Amino acid sequence: MVFRKGQKVELFRRSSDESWEPYMDAFVGLHGIVTDPDTAINDPDALVEVSLEGKGTHRLPQDCLRPLDHD
Amino acid sequence: MAHNGCPVNRSIAAFEDVLATERLGDPKNQRRVEELIQLLTDVAWGRAGDAHLPAIAQLAGELAQDPGEARARETGAAFLGVLNEFREVFQSHIDTHNCASGDCVRLAPAPCQMTCPAGIDVPTYVSLIGEGRDAEAIEVIRRDNPFPWVCGLVCTRPCEFMCVRGRIDRPVGIKPLKGFAAERALSRSQYRNPPRESDKGQKVAIIGAGPGGMSAAYYLALKGYGVGVIEAQPSAGGMILLGIPRYRLPREVIDREVAMLQELGVEFRFNTRFGVDTSLAALRGEGYEAFLFAIGAHQSFKLGIPGEGDFAGVVEAVDFLRRVALGDRRAPGHRVVVIGGGNVAIDAARTALRLGSETVTLAYRRTRHEMPADEEEVEQAEEEGIQLAFLTIPKEVVGAEGRLQGLRCLRAEMVRADDSDRLRPVPVRDSDFLLETDIIIAAIGQRVDETGMEELAGLAWTRRHTIDVNMVSMETNQPGIFAVGDAVTGPATVIEAIGGGKRAAEAIDRHLSGLPQPKMPPVPVRRGRVACREIAANRKMTLKRPEMPLLNIDRRRTTFQQVELGYDEAAVRDEASRCLRCDICLRCGRCVEICRDKMKVDALQMGYFDFDHPVETDFRATAERCILCGACAANCPTGAMRMEDRDGERVLSLCGTVLNRQALLCCEDCGAVLGPLRYLEYVRKRHATIALRADSRSLCDACARQAAAAAVETDR
Repeated sequence: MVFRKGQKVELFRRSSDESWEPYMDAFVGLHGIVTDPDTAINDPDALVEVSLEGKGTHRLPQDCLRPLDHD
Repeated sequence: MAHNGCPVNRSIAAFEDVLATERLGDPKNQRRVEELIQLLTDVAWGRAGDAHLPAIAQLAGELAQDPGEARARETGAAFLGVLNEFREVFQSHIDTHNCASGDCVRLAPAPCQMTCPAGIDVPTYVSLIGEGRDAEAIEVIRRDNPFPWVCGLVCTRPCEFMCVRGRIDRPVGIKPLKGFAAERALSRSQYRNPPRESDKGQKVAIIGAGPGGMSAAYYLALKGYGVGVIEAQPSAGGMILLGIPRYRLPREVIDREVAMLQELGVEFRFNTRFGVDTSLAALRGEGYEAFLFAIGAHQSFKLGIPGEGDFAGVVEAVDFLRRVALGDRRAPGHRVVVIGGGNVAIDAARTALRLGSETVTLAYRRTRHEMPADEEEVEQAEEEGIQLAFLTIPKEVVGAEGRLQGLRCLRAEMVRADDSDRLRPVPVRDSDFLLETDIIIAAIGQRVDETGMEELAGLAWTRRHTIDVNMVSMETNQPGIFAVGDAVTGPATVIEAIGGGKRAAEAIDRHLSGLPQPKMPPVPVRRGRVACREIAANRKMTLKRPEMPLLNIDRRRTTFQQVELGYDEAAVRDEASRCLRCDICLRCGRCVEICRDKMKVDALQMGYFDFDHPVETDFRATAERCILCGACAANCPTGAMRMEDRDGERVLSLCGTVLNRQALLCCEDCGAVLGPLRYLEYVRKRHATIALRADSRSLCDACARQAAAAAVETDR
């Protein structure tokens, strides 16, 4: 699991994952906080819950996210 | 008129431009435009009522038909065009107190509300709790979440992660405040259902009585639908009943919340498994017209190691927790090993301890840093004596003669893969060791159990083995069939399921009413604008989030009594007053810029305004430098920053936090207010070379002019 709860992330690109929906295109470039990471099997393929600043909370594929703080 | 952004906001700007450029000659038409601005501002500020839109349309119509002035007719006609095209948006401002574009800044939801998957108006209910209006707070919460008591105890509280107060010290304790208010309202018989709409004569079947299904049931019942809930288990609650132990969420809490649904007429059919005891065809035969599948994710992943299936002592965490929830109180074993690092693993470990297991070890393949379980839950587990074995990879279940003896493991180290920044655990060579145990509980995640869904042959599933839905409407590829909760998201949070349930209820209502589904997820709705309570800056800064009182450790190790005891009333009221009221202050930074760049005073130390790089905040610092000029308040777009003269003082406050207060000086001749001394000195310093000095006396401008004129006359 690369993401952990409370971590700041950037949604830096679209994802080709099947869970990506058209309205999510407007989220690219936004920053947010991981509120519920993959809680199960540390699966890089799992969807993580991210709260995007001003855009609400969404389940997103991990390949469109990158951490902002590398602590 | 421009059609970009919010039409309400744009219309106001257009009318203001008409006035500013003096395009209207007739005073009567100018007055009409002024009145239109006034009414539209009411709409933009969320204070309009049912009479506003008709009044606006009438005024615009009068303008559009004015016989004497062509420009008035053009202005009126242009606005009527906008009103006709965007009437729904205007109406939505009035009905929902929400501006989806955010242009009407007073209607923009706070970050905590935006973050909540159910969109609860957090600042409003926190403010109400702060004032002791607990029942009203519960009413606000239940407009978006029917289970405030459940969420007050077990919510993963994404709102607190986004809480702006967390950029100053610690987030507001939103979850315990909600729990307190729910408990208080219920104990005083003030926890009531809102009135139900008249019966629509249509029925909806919900398969699964978990939080997602029951949320949908609540909102559908309120809309007047007949709702039947089919549940395989003997009680309602789903994962919150079967997966969350009683020491976190007492069963009585769930029962009371479920009783509220039954009071609305929701019918539960327990011990009824879809696909076995009933079917889609049978339910259709009973008159159900829409179906919501909220079947959860109850099937565990397998460990996939040798020996896993050879011994009865290897059990799955969700099965273990389910048995205990349904009344099995036998200790699972003497020495328990739980495999996993999530909340379910922690719950299983703490449950085993309470049932009398002597040692409980939690084996997790990564480090504490990567553990996905709630940090507080992990801490509490350690306090109770759960042993955490990090960097431990299960290799083989070992035993003899059908009896489990232990779990062979490997030590791991975290290694960065060449092609990614992902650290992954890699076994250390020759690091085998044996964890002796007589019971292994596997808690490495769950998936949706598809058993019983065969009848829905055409139903689309994702590659993650979840039901494929449109996340905006929760509709599947089968008309009239919707899905929600863990069955859609995979194992997720209670509040996410509740939010999905509410969305599904709205979508089912649209489906049964023949309306098209929306294309975007709903924007959270503001439920009110509670006035800010005044609090001194030093108190706002020094109030600390209280620690949660816990049950004593011996009882925690031996009973299922609720561990978190909740805040007492004084702590709740204080904690609520730590809220920064981000529903009113949008942190646009205009006040800081004006004070620093225009006035050159730089008295506002609001480091929390920045999301990415918050720096130090100190409300107390304002009083040291602020001259009370009022430039910040005059330029605040939302009215968050206010300056007023009262009781001989000038007071500057931000959302009720008093940043500065100073005594007012008055004209020695006429008594007119001059301002605070610091402000007068600032003005005099700036105007030293041009200002007329009235000796050392404090005079208003008018009296100073008279004094100067008198002095000139005397000189003559």
